[in-house]
Amino acid sequence: MSNIYKSKKYVFFFLAPAFIFLILYLYYPFFVNIYGSFRAIKNLGTYGTKWNDPWYENYVKLVTDPVVRTSLKNTFLMIIATIVGQVGIALLLAILVDNIEKGTQFFRTVYFFPIVISATALGLLFNLIFLYDKGMLNQFLELFGKTTLTDWKGEKLAILTMMIPVVWQYVGFYFVILETGLNNISQELYESAAIDGATRFQRVIYISLPLLRNVICTCLTLGVTGALKVFDLPWTMFPKGMPLKETFLTGTYMYYQTMEAKNVDYGATLAVLIVVLGVVLSRITRAVFKESEDF
Amino acid sequence: MKMKKLTAALMTAIMTASMVVGCGSAAPAPAEPSPAQTEAPAAETPAAEEPAAETEAAGPVELTVTTTFAGEDSNAQNYKNAVAGWEAATGNTVSDTSATSDETFKTRIITDFETGSEPDVLFFFNGADANDFVNAGKVVSIDEIRAEFPDFASNMNDDLIAASPADGVKYAVPVNGYWEAMFVNTAVLDAAGVAMPGADYTWDQFLEDCQKIKDAGYAPIAAALGNIPHYWWEFAIFNQQTPANHLDIPGAADDATGSQWVAGLEDIKTLYEKGYFPDNTLSATDDETFAMFTDGKAAFLLDGSWKVGGIVGSCQSDPEDPSTLDADKLANFDVTYFPGKGNRKTTDMIGGLSMGYYITKKAWDDPDKRAAAVSFVSYMTSDEVVPQFAQHTASALKNAPAVDETQFNALQVKAMSMMSGVTSLTGAVQDLFNGDCRVSTFDGMPDIVVGNVSAADAVQEGIDVYLDAQ
Repeated sequence: MSNIYKSKKYVFFFLAPAFIFLILYLYYPFFVNIYGSFRAIKNLGTYGTKWNDPWYENYVKLVTDPVVRTSLKNTFLMIIATIVGQVGIALLLAILVDNIEKGTQFFRTVYFFPIVISATALGLLFNLIFLYDKGMLNQFLELFGKTTLTDWKGEKLAILTMMIPVVWQYVGFYFVILETGLNNISQELYESAAIDGATRFQRVIYISLPLLRNVICTCLTLGVTGALKVFDLPWTMFPKGMPLKETFLTGTYMYYQTMEAKNVDYGATLAVLIVVLGVVLSRITRAVFKESEDF
Repeated sequence: MKMKKLTAALMTAIMTASMVVGCGSAAPAPAEPSPAQTEAPAAETPAAEEPAAETEAAGPVELTVTTTFAGEDSNAQNYKNAVAGWEAATGNTVSDTSATSDETFKTRIITDFETGSEPDVLFFFNGADANDFVNAGKVVSIDEIRAEFPDFASNMNDDLIAASPADGVKYAVPVNGYWEAMFVNTAVLDAAGVAMPGADYTWDQFLEDCQKIKDAGYAPIAAALGNIPHYWWEFAIFNQQTPANHLDIPGAADDATGSQWVAGLEDIKTLYEKGYFPDNTLSATDDETFAMFTDGKAAFLLDGSWKVGGIVGSCQSDPEDPSTLDADKLANFDVTYFPGKGNRKTTDMIGGLSMGYYITKKAWDDPDKRAAAVSFVSYMTSDEVVPQFAQHTASALKNAPAVDETQFNALQVKAMSMMSGVTSLTGAVQDLFNGDCRVSTFDGMPDIVVGNVSAADAVQEGIDVYLDAQ
């Protein structure tokens, strides 16, 4: 008697919808995008009327375009900010909260809250904070006697101003993951170490961090790949890479070329670059932050 | 067991089918012909059998409408009121997706047309910005509409309705005209000891005044060059030309017209280098520099007639309620001509009827929406509604009512006074040098003024894009 659970053919029935979905909405658009990167396309929704001359023109431009270099540099800065700022601060906060007796739930809620706010709303909020004239930060500095206004979104500070809200928004996300990881460490280990005379700091260094290694690796992998996708908050605060195209990330530059500059085929070329970058970085990340089977 | 198999097969089939249906819904529904299928004469469609004068749909219809009457546009509230009036009169409803007019808005509209998600009725530019959807046959000409609805736009002076540069056919029914001029915060001028500029104001006088204003601790010019450099771009180029040749498109950066464009952009660079724009002009948004102007921190604001409403709104404690207007504060604002240079007279202005209501082919081919769309545009361009929008600007009405100045606020009266001295009104050349051609000099303006890119290279890059599209 045949059994639905033994027959492999039913597996394919259930895999088919997701497979077709991915083919239609991921792989097909991806290959169409590659095709589009060789065409001259002004507006979305068309394949353009002719091939680029030469057909690889956009890929030559990709190499020589100084804004691409700027956006790659900023994207790598964003990755570093993610590793140090988001995961690093989240780890510090998680360890601190893990060492308090009461209020753990309160801090979890407080730190996680920015995640539930839309990035666009946060962008508008931080726009008001960093506003040149009458901005919250500049008014605050005035109280301390500063007589000149600081252009937080100007050329010198723009990158820092862009990264602060992005880091701030996601600290809570990694905090919750790391805090959960810390909770899974047996209290008996800490108690034994305490009996042996270990200080709190030593307990963190020799018990918490080693046992948290796999969770930290997961957070770092999520952080690095997530940094490649950051878009809405930087675009809200720094549309068109303002000032002087200094704040473009690979994602925002692709959007700008496609939607604002109407250079759709070049936008498609940038999309190819982003995919290649994503694949390469995720492989490097997996190799560097490989989870250990010892824990 | 059979039941399990059947259930599994059914679930899989339903999931797959629902997904395929979902994919299919991206294309126009069969009942609604795609633009490529809509070339049949209007007379062949079912609605053509309706009486020609009939402009009301059989039942309540929801129209999707997109305009630029939003944000700080002077007519944002008038538009809301007019839409409410049409809805009450017809029982139809409007799904409004209006937004402030900027490059993002234009891109959105073009993309909507390309992807088949255009609105039923659109208030948009009648220049080259509309070329793509005009060339694609996605809007209906006024003549085609009149073939079925003879009274359509019959209250308009046809000579004042602009034809599309794409094919010379008239599509957009205008409402109100526009002008571009220099708004002035007179309180800042007083503080800096500068007199209110008049009809003979020259570029050199302007530079002198800017220096005085800067020395007094104010920003002479409220402009966000990294965000909205459009008005400065237009007038700086106009200042190298005359009304007779302003609408010429250069063939190269080093030909006669191209050199004028380069000289215009270099004038903006000079202003930047002299420090006449706000310190944060490259990182600020237009809203921020506008706030500097209304807050008395900047003296001059080059903008369009639609900004009158924004300035008046900034003088009201409740921007939605005209009765809360602070008349003393509004008295600090005036409007004048852009300083003249070379052969351009100070009183030569940029303006005209650059926008109008389009009815899209999509709505026209929908039997339920055709009459409603015509009804909506007829209402919005009627003799009663147009004067409310036109106010201190021009309209294309055959029988424009006499202007009652008592209905206007102080800034509107000053605007009308300025307009009475105009020697010429020329369209904006940027409306012909559309979209992606402008990127190198609009989005590239910050790079030009700081010297990262030469004005000549930026102009040539734009010309190359323009020529490539011809």
